[in-house]
Amino acid sequence: MTSHDYLALRLEELLDRISDDGLAPGGGSASALTVAFAARLVAMVARCSPDWQEAGGIVAQANAIGERAVHLAGADGRAWETALAALRDAEAADGDDPRRSFALEQKLEAAASVPLEIAALGADVATLAAETGDNCEATYRADAAAAAALAAGGAAAAAHLVRVNLGVRGSDPRLANALASEQTARESAERLLETTR
Amino acid sequence: MSKAAGLTDAELVRLCRAGDPDGWNELVERFSRYVYAIAVRGFRLGDEEAEDVFQDVFTRVYTRLDTLRDDSAVRPWIAQLTRRRCLDVLASRGRETAVEEEVLTHEETADLGEVEEAFAVREALAGLSDTCQDILDRFFARDQSYKTIADELEIPPGTIASRIARCLGRLKDALGPET
Repeated sequence: MTSHDYLALRLEELLDRISDDGLAPGGGSASALTVAFAARLVAMVARCSPDWQEAGGIVAQANAIGERAVHLAGADGRAWETALAALRDAEAADGDDPRRSFALEQKLEAAASVPLEIAALGADVATLAAETGDNCEATYRADAAAAAALAAGGAAAAAHLVRVNLGVRGSDPRLANALASEQTARESAERLLETTR
Repeated sequence: MSKAAGLTDAELVRLCRAGDPDGWNELVERFSRYVYAIAVRGFRLGDEEAEDVFQDVFTRVYTRLDTLRDDSAVRPWIAQLTRRRCLDVLASRGRETAVEEEVLTHEETADLGEVEEAFAVREALAGLSDTCQDILDRFFARDQSYKTIADELEIPPGTIASRIARCLGRLKDALGPET
């Protein structure tokens, strides 16, 4: 199994790994890294707003969320490859083996739990970006809006993966949580984008 | 919680000097993780060696507390005793021949700095309001999302980031101008 420490890769190598094959990093890792980019943008905007008293605290939060997102990018890669291997085993096996089906289901659920966390981080970053956009130096407001848009995109992608990986109905609380995160992120981004046009 | 738990370091030292058993229990409780952290993270000692250092350091603290000139400086004093004892352990196992601080590698020195910093933050954190301690712990230590924090504390989600930022500002003030 390949390494999922994406921070250790050069950017070009990471991009090649994404486009190489059907293995990780895939959509989940890419959405987590998008959220991480957005978090770092928020940190930059806050850092460039010295007149804002709470800027230092916002930088610390944005960096903490960014680190979590990078960690989740690796975790998603590992979970997805494990689920994929189980899926291939199940396809290669003859007949219906209930134990194998149960194991596969467990691995797919594990693969869905990471995007659920990514969606929540996306909502947090979009919220933080909105707060930052309201208080930052005017010159950097557009960057805050860009961060909110990226975070909302990451949250939406992650929520979509939760739905697909679980194959669930609308009543599943995990999907409801993912969709709530997506909505929070989208609303924050739309509000900020609207005010910076 | 014992009556000694809320005392400052200097007050605690005075209580220990007076021979109060609660004071000694609190002193060990307050500094035990610090001593372990220096031994394990700073000097990479194993569990057994760290336990030896721990026993030896607190024996020295017990027998030499009267030699401490400034009661409020008990933490750096314990840190110094611990570092010296750790260097003795390293020298005795032949990994290092000298017993001066200069023998520490760059990495070990950096780890020691992190240990010191972590404990300084922990101490400053303890001086903040319960509300601030709680919200910082939830966000930075338990990795809770703004929504989870808002739901559990029953406060509006849009105010969480600001509250955390204000608490961090207070923590920074408590840590002093060098941070």
